[in-house]
Amino acid sequence: MPAIRNQIRELRAAREMTQQDLADQVGVTRQTVIAIEQDKYSPSLETAFKVALALGVTLEQCFQFDPRGRR
Amino acid sequence: MASLSYREKSLYASLIAEVVIYVPYFFLHGHDSVVKVAAMIIGIIILQVILQTVIAAYTRNRLTDERDRLIELRGYRAGYFTFASLMLLGLALLWFHASIGHLHLDSARMSLHFLSVFFGMLVIADITKTAAQLIAYRRAL
Repeated sequence: MPAIRNQIRELRAAREMTQQDLADQVGVTRQTVIAIEQDKYSPSLETAFKVALALGVTLEQCFQFDPRGRR
Repeated sequence: MASLSYREKSLYASLIAEVVIYVPYFFLHGHDSVVKVAAMIIGIIILQVILQTVIAAYTRNRLTDERDRLIELRGYRAGYFTFASLMLLGLALLWFHASIGHLHLDSARMSLHFLSVFFGMLVIADITKTAAQLIAYRRAL
């Protein structure tokens, strides 16, 4: 399991938001949103806050840290 | 190609340009002429400008973000290590040839050969950089 996991896909689906919509709001490419959702890329703290803000949740609701997970 | 980002398309174009220009130069022709080296440099610049202009014209979203910058740095790191390794290998071979008396630095042909080998190292490092970036994009990082 990755060290940093997220619920972006579920939160985005609940808001009927597309990956492109989220990417536009956060200021990243759609490919970066895909990479974050697949837990293949851990965003910077600033981008993580922007994602949480765009989804209307707190950072902890969006991202979780597992100290035993692989980095 | 629609699922590729602007940076990724740009990198594929760079790789194509590098392969189209460099590979024939190094493998199909003798590389013993300064004119050929100059022609190759001009050729790669012209091809890159054409390909990058076409990609820029047909890509609406040309945004680059933190992941693009991170991948770019990884590519430069891979290119640097490749170049440094090749330089060390080249210096070791130079020392070996000098130690057995096979090195004649006074000839003009040898100077051109050194220039060509050095240029080859740069080319291999550049292709490695581009390839490393493309692999990072395909792996999502």
